[in-house]
Amino acid sequence: MNKKNRKPKWSVLTLLVSTSLLFAGCGQGSTTPAASGTDKAGNQPAASTTTGSAPTKEDKSKGEPLVVYLNDFDEIIGPMFEKETGYKVKLVSGNGAEIMSRIEAEKGNPHWDVVWMDAMPSIHKLGKDGQLLEGWTPNNAAGLTDFAAKLVPANKTYYPTGAHAAGVIIANTKQLPADKAPKSWNDLVKPEFQNMVGMADPAVAAPAYPFVAWFFQQEGMDKGKAYFDLLLQNGARVYPKNPNVAKALTGGEIKLAALQESNAYTLKNKKEPVEIIWPEEGAPASVRVAGIQKDTKNVEAAKAFIDFILDPKVQQQLIDQGEESYFEPSAKGAVAKKDRAANAKLVVADPEWASEHEAEIKQWFADKAVK
Amino acid sequence: MGWLVLAILFFLILLPLAAVIIQVLLPGVFFGQWNTGDLSLLLDVFTRPLWLASLKNSLYLGVGTTVFATALGCALAIVRSRWSFQTARLLDLAVWVLLITPSFILAQGWVMFAAADGLANAWLGWTWITSLVFSPEGLVVVMSLSKFPLAYLAIASALEWKVDRLGEAARLCGSSLWTVWRTVELPLLLPAICSGALLVFMDTIGDFGLPASIAAVFRFPTLPYSIYSALYTSPIRFDMAGVLSFYLVLLIVAAMSIQFYVMRKARFDVLSFRATRQERKTTKRGSMWLNIGCISFLLVVIGIPFGANLLMSISDTSSMDQGLQGLTLRHYEELFANGEALLDGLLHSLGIAATAGIIGLIVGFFVAYVLTYSPFKYRRAVDVISLVSLAVPGVVLGIGYIFVWNQRWLEPIGLLLYGTPWILALASVAGAIPIITRVIVGAMAKVPGQLLAAAQMQGASFVQRVRWILLPLIRGALVAAGLSAFGSSVFDLAATSILFPPDFMTLPVFINKAFEDLKFAYAAASTLMGGGLVVLIIVIVELLFQPKKWKAGRDHA
Repeated sequence: MNKKNRKPKWSVLTLLVSTSLLFAGCGQGSTTPAASGTDKAGNQPAASTTTGSAPTKEDKSKGEPLVVYLNDFDEIIGPMFEKETGYKVKLVSGNGAEIMSRIEAEKGNPHWDVVWMDAMPSIHKLGKDGQLLEGWTPNNAAGLTDFAAKLVPANKTYYPTGAHAAGVIIANTKQLPADKAPKSWNDLVKPEFQNMVGMADPAVAAPAYPFVAWFFQQEGMDKGKAYFDLLLQNGARVYPKNPNVAKALTGGEIKLAALQESNAYTLKNKKEPVEIIWPEEGAPASVRVAGIQKDTKNVEAAKAFIDFILDPKVQQQLIDQGEESYFEPSAKGAVAKKDRAANAKLVVADPEWASEHEAEIKQWFADKAVK
Repeated sequence: MGWLVLAILFFLILLPLAAVIIQVLLPGVFFGQWNTGDLSLLLDVFTRPLWLASLKNSLYLGVGTTVFATALGCALAIVRSRWSFQTARLLDLAVWVLLITPSFILAQGWVMFAAADGLANAWLGWTWITSLVFSPEGLVVVMSLSKFPLAYLAIASALEWKVDRLGEAARLCGSSLWTVWRTVELPLLLPAICSGALLVFMDTIGDFGLPASIAAVFRFPTLPYSIYSALYTSPIRFDMAGVLSFYLVLLIVAAMSIQFYVMRKARFDVLSFRATRQERKTTKRGSMWLNIGCISFLLVVIGIPFGANLLMSISDTSSMDQGLQGLTLRHYEELFANGEALLDGLLHSLGIAATAGIIGLIVGFFVAYVLTYSPFKYRRAVDVISLVSLAVPGVVLGIGYIFVWNQRWLEPIGLLLYGTPWILALASVAGAIPIITRVIVGAMAKVPGQLLAAAQMQGASFVQRVRWILLPLIRGALVAAGLSAFGSSVFDLAATSILFPPDFMTLPVFINKAFEDLKFAYAAASTLMGGGLVVLIIVIVELLFQPKKWKAGRDHA
């Protein structure tokens, strides 16, 4: 009886071990060069063939649907794109962090063709790591505003479609009348605003990082840390995400907040007792950009998508009908929402600097929060 | 059969988990890169403030909740099985509801109740509630009130049958009722109590939603929170997530070792031909007190989180201070107007959950069988693996699943499950296995192997033994296990949010999106609608499969 049990034991054990090695090792054999990290030169992907060559609308719908990973506008962009170009599109929408995590986990075998998110530092890094299609200029790139054109990187891996404030000052007017509210970021560390301020955690909330990155880049790492140290010592509270900050504000837990523009205007439109203040120095911006996956099999459709979202008519429609409608469009001719402050000043942290220091700054905030 | 079960569990749970943990040793190995990682990260847990705090907090929360929740669940199960009182079935319903409700919904309800602008302050004027709930101790209490159903179900299943002879023998020797209960019946409940306690501990340390939502008000980072940060913060660090998952697994192993040590010498299979179904007694005066106690308990445990959600869904603004003038039904109207998206998500989730429930029940039954009756040498391994997925946060499993099932070479053999709904079903099964297994094991522990051996000697095949002896005796536990797996799978947010294929919205993702878009009332309304539907389905299935229990209840009550 013992001898009989021993044989199956070893064979099954080896089977289990070899299967796991197979899963790990075979990943190496069949992945394309795009997965091997930083090596950009000489990696001409063989897989990025064009689908149909005849650009008639009927042909386009026969190919594989275009897969777009995005974090906003999922409710309208699909039908809009399909109606205009005839390409079929499938959307995966989540918050910024979920999408980036998904993209990173899929690195060995990406399922996405286009990524369109307001996470410029992260997508900049994707471009640097060689995961995005390089050196292509869409037709509508000529119609970009000056502000937007400056944001296109040298290797042309992504294009901006809009920018919105990652943080504006917002006050709960029931607790703090508008005339007493702060007018600039430097005001927030003043003693009269002690224990009143709240903000989102850069280690958790996607737009919160572009927000703090600007401070750190402007002042330098040390002065940036000093500013936030002062802010935290002044009793500022850090909440995981912007909706949490919004809730704390309306609940009266905090009287002031550095809140993302879209959340702030949502509160205002829901007739909550709040007042939005665009700070004097300018509001650090979160830029929405789109890039194409390097080895996508759907190059035609992907390029058509990027051209589509850079079209001023489309951007106008997003402003008029979309949910995240408060942003400054990147195409000349599109007009921002009327009740958005006319002189809304946006300032942008340099994405190269921001992505280089991302880990360091986020770690600093995470450790600070524990103390 | 032991090997088959081990292999299944390996693929479902261990391989994805290992895939994440191995990122510490060999980052990027699933992307075709072969470089060794930074092993010093493993010791970073003692130097990084956030990680150390997370470890300590998770331990504190886990142990505290286990103690309270198990005691609570045990007391409730014993009361429920011994006495009949009119509100008893309400308790059963409440337990199910708590089990299937995702922790972020419960958390939201508690926050709405106890926050500075919440119900307690605005409507009742109880300002002391805020500081009471939003503290580490308060968090333990709130967690216990949400996790006790796990212990309750495990113990209640074991209390279905009893053997009077043992107790009667003790009484004949002169012990009082209390001594009999303390020295004979309670120790016999030990495997069920341990199962329940272990389930609670696992679920607590793996829970991200509840501590995170309540901790939005005060900082209480836990291990799942730190893992979430590592996975959801650009630049994504899978190796950090791997390290933290490794420590989580260590906590699990520690808990299991304690359990094995406690139960090492005992024998608990006492059901014999003299076993009878536990009958419930009634007492006139006692009934009234039991009813009062039950109702007040339910008011706290269910009334607070759900009542707060209900009020939130019918109030106009997110602050509660407008009182009765601020009530409106417009969120429900909006729900029906946009019904299609919600219905889509609901149907998808129900389908996945039903598939997961059935597959999970079959796998769980075999796992429980191997654990209880088979002389398989690696039963411990099966035991550990079957529990691990409860403690591992859904996010980690999800990422692991992407690593494992997104390999290019799987495509030609049709096994590239990532990107199809099947991966969701697989992940849900992995998430449901612990509950199913433990509930069934708790009941199987009372059915002695000799019953089956006797039948086998008479010539009964495996199928016959299972069908005619085992299944009838544990039928209640099977239904309970299947339904609990179904219920909790419907609302599994963590795994579905990272694994859902394009254009395949699921219910929890839909609700969470509403939360993130600040539409709290809309999210609360969709939760109540979706949850209500799931509860209805569960009640119908229970009625179908256990009509005797309901009838008996009615006769006694």
